[in-house]
Amino acid sequence: MAYIISDEAKDLLADVKKFCDKEVRQQCKEYDISGEFPKEIYDKALEIGLSAIEVPQQYGGLGLDHITCAALFEEMAKADAGFYTTMSASFLALTPVLLVGTEEQKKWACNKLVEGGYASFGLTEPMAGSDASNVKTTAVKDGDDYILNGRKCFITNAPVADFYVIIASTNKSKGVAGLSAFLVPKGTKGLSTGKHENKMGIRTSITSDVIMEDMRIPQSARLGREGTGFITAMKTLDMSRAYVGCGAVGIAQRALEEAVEYSKTRVTFGKPICQHEAIQFMIADMDIKTETARQMVAHALTLQQNGKPFSRESAIAKCYAGDIAVEVALDAIQILGGYGYSKEYPVEKLLRDAKIFQIYEGTNQIQRAVIAKAAMRMRK
Amino acid sequence: MEILVCVKQVPDDSVKVVLNGSGQPAIDKIAPVANAFDTYALEMAARFKEANGGTITAVSIGPDEFKTSLKNCLAVGADKAYVVTDASYDGSDSLATAYVLSKAVAKIEELEGVKFDIIFCGKETTDSTTALVGPELAEKLGVGVVTCVTELALNGDKIDAKQETEEGYNTIEVAMPAVLTINKPHYDPRYPTMKSKMAARRKQIPTLTSADLGTDASLVGAANSAVKTISLSEPTKKQAGIKINEKTFEETFAKAMAVMTEAKIF
Amino acid sequence: MSLTDCKGIMVVIETADGAAKSVGLEMLTPAKEIASAKGTDVTAVMIGEGLEDAAKQAASYGADKIITVDNNDLKAYSEKHAAVLKELIEKYKPETVLIGATQNGKDIAPIVAGKLGLGCVTDVVSMKLGDDGKIVFTCPMYSGNILSDNVIDTVPQIATVRGGSFKKGEPKDVELPEEVVIAESMPYGDIKTTIKETVKEISEAVNLEDAQVIVSGGRGMGSAENFKLVEELANVLGGVVGATRAPVEDGWISRAHQIGQSGKIVAPKLYIACGISGATQHVTGMVGSDYIVAINKDEDAPIFDIANVGIVGNVMQVIPAMIEEIKKLKA
Repeated sequence: MAYIISDEAKDLLADVKKFCDKEVRQQCKEYDISGEFPKEIYDKALEIGLSAIEVPQQYGGLGLDHITCAALFEEMAKADAGFYTTMSASFLALTPVLLVGTEEQKKWACNKLVEGGYASFGLTEPMAGSDASNVKTTAVKDGDDYILNGRKCFITNAPVADFYVIIASTNKSKGVAGLSAFLVPKGTKGLSTGKHENKMGIRTSITSDVIMEDMRIPQSARLGREGTGFITAMKTLDMSRAYVGCGAVGIAQRALEEAVEYSKTRVTFGKPICQHEAIQFMIADMDIKTETARQMVAHALTLQQNGKPFSRESAIAKCYAGDIAVEVALDAIQILGGYGYSKEYPVEKLLRDAKIFQIYEGTNQIQRAVIAKAAMRMRK
Repeated sequence: MEILVCVKQVPDDSVKVVLNGSGQPAIDKIAPVANAFDTYALEMAARFKEANGGTITAVSIGPDEFKTSLKNCLAVGADKAYVVTDASYDGSDSLATAYVLSKAVAKIEELEGVKFDIIFCGKETTDSTTALVGPELAEKLGVGVVTCVTELALNGDKIDAKQETEEGYNTIEVAMPAVLTINKPHYDPRYPTMKSKMAARRKQIPTLTSADLGTDASLVGAANSAVKTISLSEPTKKQAGIKINEKTFEETFAKAMAVMTEAKIF
Repeated sequence: MSLTDCKGIMVVIETADGAAKSVGLEMLTPAKEIASAKGTDVTAVMIGEGLEDAAKQAASYGADKIITVDNNDLKAYSEKHAAVLKELIEKYKPETVLIGATQNGKDIAPIVAGKLGLGCVTDVVSMKLGDDGKIVFTCPMYSGNILSDNVIDTVPQIATVRGGSFKKGEPKDVELPEEVVIAESMPYGDIKTTIKETVKEISEAVNLEDAQVIVSGGRGMGSAENFKLVEELANVLGGVVGATRAPVEDGWISRAHQIGQSGKIVAPKLYIACGISGATQHVTGMVGSDYIVAINKDEDAPIFDIANVGIVGNVMQVIPAMIEEIKKLKA
């Protein structure tokens, strides 16, 4: 049993699995080639309410616990990691609103997702990825409004989002302490999106720049106090890290399953290759890594659910799961041999999809920095 | 509009069923699902309700486990559900099943204080595939029946049902109440939403027994069924011939042509 | 039911445009065998309009007695047919009623069974006389993966018989039997349905059941365009085109060509399966073919388990090459 979840959650998981098997798994292949955003798949996913699973009940969502959400997200990632990325990116954007938003902001943002929408979290800039302190986007006070100028890049869901959370500097001289967060509805004058990135993997997710040119927003759109944007963003990433890990686990699990299935049917030297120890040991290692990563994700989320410190564990979960997803996908390709390298079979896509999990929402180098700091504190 | 949908829980029909050691279908490891044609029936009923208003009740005859698929029905359009469970009904053939269903219809009508206008059944089940229960139920109830329906429209106090035929279709007018047996329409059943699923799980599904229905014990169960199954077997397997998979297409094709010419099949 | 002294086998023969449907004549074969073993006879029943020719056909395939209910009211199949059959069963008291498992046959059987409280089985693929004098009916279940042998305790009893399950006998040049009952009308009772419109969407006559050669295509053909190759191969072989459910649902070919659980059951001398994986639902409908050729690029496709010759290859390469070769052979 992967995650320990309630009977009700198992029921929901079975439904999500059925949906992904019938509507996502095969269909995403063609979009992986074209790089087109599969709107009809997402329309169906929104229809069944996948955009509301994490939204708290008091705001009309399902308010599912973290572990249940992880189980559902893993299932989505198993079918297609791009699909997972799209669905989870909306929650990434909702997180800062739930953390520091006013009651009105929370209601408004939650409602967008409950009604079947998307959201984008805009922190990264061309010169500010891991080093968030280098944010160049500015928000200048003008009477009761702010005027934003700048460019965010690699923003998941940007072209389709119903709202954006934008991190911008309200006081350049203060560095990270001068950053503030803003809740920006789609269609705001001065807001536009760039061209869709042609990505290596997760090609069913849509990614582009967000461009703000003299974009005027009222003061009421600010999330939290001025100068708290950096802390809000860091807390948000902290909370979402374990979920990124669970997407990576989904890819690893898929790779493992594809490899096992193939190894049972492919015969060499008179027996299925799954009966060769060389393959068995590879499969065992793939399973060890996948399950370990999954349980680290579960542990980090359990800490979070119980109000305990979780930064170190979330970083470990994200970092480890991202790394092993790449390794397990590579092993799956190796087991499938030439077929693994061929686009006719699904495993080469898994490698392309897995790579981003070592990069986005904090590179694995940044995760290691977080983990190292925590480890050194422990030694004191 | 009061609508009843009859639903049977069957083993997932995408899995091949074989016989187990004791000569019975090995279905215990196959996931139970609502019969595919019954899910089409429910979807059609749900769309009909959305267009014309009303209430949908789902009913199953079978053990308590059938509540699993009834809960799913509650998540995709049914407002209420009943399960009819009684050990004495085990092994009933289609005629006995139709009899029990007719009694269940009367009982549910009494409990809910309604009269059903339309009773939807799947065209057939994917397990025993007899396609008998729907029309037999109509006869027991003394109402009209249209089989193989793929579309329907309300026409005053009547229904216009589109019946798929071997050459095309008929439009058949039938007075309500009526039984309709449903074939695969041009759309797929909806997925439950996360929310409707959670709500459905919290709904109660009352159980009705033979005492509630007042069925005559001499008309139900395996012993009192007209059709008796005396044995089961698997069809004799056709021997596989040769499979040709040479290095190149030319070699494969030449070899295949040689084999086929030798067999004088052209 | 208080019908006693029921005897003989009543075979209900459906007609189309005045001719008996194949399955009706096929059923006469086992009916005659069982009737002769039991020392009874076979009565053919036809309900429709313009039935003279069909009655002669039934006689030539060995029906001992013939009953026709010939009436303009009964031209198109409707609930009235069931009402008439019920009357005939009550009047002539057969022990067993066999009905072809066509869509109309499967419609009429449960209605009559329900009206008279008779046991009924569906889609019989074989039948034999048991030691106790009861007929054992073999019916498919679970998509044909399991066969069940059944007896029916009621008399009369009803069975629908799947087309292609029995071979037609040799027709004899005979006069109509002496016992021919021609009824022009029968009471219909309370009729609850009215046919407002009948639309024929499928105009072509597709006779898969009697075909000697069938070339079938599945999802693996890829497109409506590619599916034309299946038709071309069928043409050069003088065969009929078949299909699995996928090409029908995708609109590459009409429903009349569908073979399998939800289509026709066929048993030609040669069956060529192109781009067909071999799902049970399809295999059920064609496994009785004498010689099966399968073309599929997936070497693990289950269709190869039942094929006499399995060609692992791309249909788009194999079929055109095959057409060329056959043209040469036939030249």
